[in-house]
Amino acid sequence: MSPGPQAEKKSPGDTKGASSDTLSLNGVGLQYDDGPEVLADVSLTIPARSFYFLTGPSGAGKTSLLSLMYLAKRPTRGNVILFGENVTEAKRGRLAMLRRRLGVVFQDFRLLDHMTAFDNVALPLRVAGVAPNVVQRDVTELLKWVGLEDEMGKHPAALSGGQQQRVAIARAVVNRPKFILADEPTGNVDDVIALRLMLLFVEMHKIGSSVIIATHNHSLVERFAFPRLHLADGVVTQIPAGE
Amino acid sequence: MFALRSDLPLRGGGSGRFVGSLVMVLVFIAAFAVTVSAYVGALIGDWNRGVSGTLTVQVPVAAGSASDAQVAKALDVLSRHPAVAGATLVPRAKVDELLKPWIGDGVMSDLPLPALIDVEMRDAAPAAVAAVEASVKAAAPAAVIDDHRVWLDRVAGLARGIGAVAAAIIVLVTAALALTIIFATRASLTEFAQVIEILHVVGAKDGYVAGQFARRALVQAFLGGVAGLALYAPALGFVAILASRVDPEILPAVHLPPLHWAALALLPAVAGILAMLSANITVRRALSSKV
Repeated sequence: MSPGPQAEKKSPGDTKGASSDTLSLNGVGLQYDDGPEVLADVSLTIPARSFYFLTGPSGAGKTSLLSLMYLAKRPTRGNVILFGENVTEAKRGRLAMLRRRLGVVFQDFRLLDHMTAFDNVALPLRVAGVAPNVVQRDVTELLKWVGLEDEMGKHPAALSGGQQQRVAIARAVVNRPKFILADEPTGNVDDVIALRLMLLFVEMHKIGSSVIIATHNHSLVERFAFPRLHLADGVVTQIPAGE
Repeated sequence: MFALRSDLPLRGGGSGRFVGSLVMVLVFIAAFAVTVSAYVGALIGDWNRGVSGTLTVQVPVAAGSASDAQVAKALDVLSRHPAVAGATLVPRAKVDELLKPWIGDGVMSDLPLPALIDVEMRDAAPAAVAAVEASVKAAAPAAVIDDHRVWLDRVAGLARGIGAVAAAIIVLVTAALALTIIFATRASLTEFAQVIEILHVVGAKDGYVAGQFARRALVQAFLGGVAGLALYAPALGFVAILASRVDPEILPAVHLPPLHWAALALLPAVAGILAMLSANITVRRALSSKV
C-alpha cells in the first residue's frame, strides 16, 4: 500500500529532502486575524503516490489544513513545500501554475451554475490553455468514465446531488493532478454513491495521484485500508492503516 | 469564437447595461466637444485666411469735400507705398450690403458711414504695417487704420478658450468613463467572488481573470460608444440644418476637417480601449491583495 505519512519535527524554512512530487508542511501555524491558531506547529510530509484520510472532530481545522495544501491560504508561520518549492512566499503567478497540478473537491461542490457539466469539467483545461480539440476529447471521455455522458449539456441545477458530486470530482481530476485534495467529498451523497466516488479516487491513486480525503465517514475509513492523518487541537497525528 | 468564451457570467450582470448606457451618454458629450473644438478651429482658420495680409483704412465723414480729399490722398499714398500690393475703395453699395444683416436697410441711406479702403499688403510684417499707417496718417490725419490681426488675435483667444473648454470636457468624460468602469468592475468582482475563487483554485492567473473583465468592458464600452455616435449623428445634422438658415455674413459656412470626422469615428474604439485598460488594471489591483 502507499507509504505512510511522516509526521516530523523540522525547523521552519527547512526544505531539505523535499522531492518534486511531495507536499511538506514544516512548523506550520495558521491563524485567522487576531484569533487563536487553528493549526499549531504542524509538520508532515506527504510522499508521492500516497493516499490518506484526514480525520478529526468538526472544527478541528481539516478544511483549513486542506486550504493550505491547495494554496488558497498562506501559513502565518512555518513553510509549505510543494513540488520542491517553498510556496509560502511564492508570487501569485507561481501559485497559479502550481495549482494546475492539484485537484480540489469541495464538500459543497462549488460548481459554476452558469456553466454546463461539460464546461465545469473543462474549466481547468481551458484555464491552462489546452487546445479546444483536446479539451473536447478529454472532458467527454472523463464524463463518460463517471457515468455522466448523457448529462454533459445540463447545468448543475438540473443534476442530482450525486451527479453534481461526480462533476466536481471530474473537474478535480481532468488535468491529471499530482495531488487530489477532497473535503468531505462523500458528505452529501448516499452510501452507494459514496462508495462509487471512493473507487474513482482509488483509480486516480493507482494511476499516480496522491489523494488526501478529509472525511467524517468512519465506514469508508474502515473499508479502505489507507493511513490517516488525525487532526485534533491543531496538531496532526499519523495513524497507520487499519487502526 | 472559442477565444471570446467567458468563464464569468458577466453577460447577465446588471452592470453591463448600466455601463453601456453611461458610455453612450459620455460619447455623445465627447462627440459634441470634438465638433465644437473642430468648428471653432475651422472658423478661425477661415477668418485667418480671409484677412491675412490685409488692412482696412477708414476715413470718417467730414464736412464738405474734406473727406473726399482725404480719401484721395490716402489712396494715393497707399498706391505708391512699397509694402502695399493694392488699395481699393470699397463702394458705398458694398458697405451697405455688409452692414445690412446687422442693422437692416431701413436707415442705411441716412447713416454717415466712413469711406473704407481695402489694402492688400505685399509685406505684412508689423514694421511694414506701422510704416503704412504712418504714411496714411501723414496724408489723411483723420484716417483710422484697422489691422485685422488685432481683432483676429482676440477672436483667436476666444477660440482657444472654447477649445480649452472642449478639451476639458473630453478629459472629464474620459475620467468619468474610467471611474464608471472601475466602480462597475469592483461591483462585478464582489458579485462573482465565488466564481473567481474557483478560477483561482483551478489555476487561473490574475491576468486570465482580468482579461475576462477587460474583454467584457471593451465590448460594452464599444457598443455604448457606437450607440452614442448613432444618437449624435442626427443631433449634429439638426444643428447643421439650423446653422444653414443663418445668414452666412453672420455665421459663415465652415467645412469641418476630415480629422474631425476621423476623431468622431474613433470615439467608440477609444472608449472601448479605455474601458478595457481600466477594467484590467482594476481587477489586477484587487486580486493582488489576495493570497
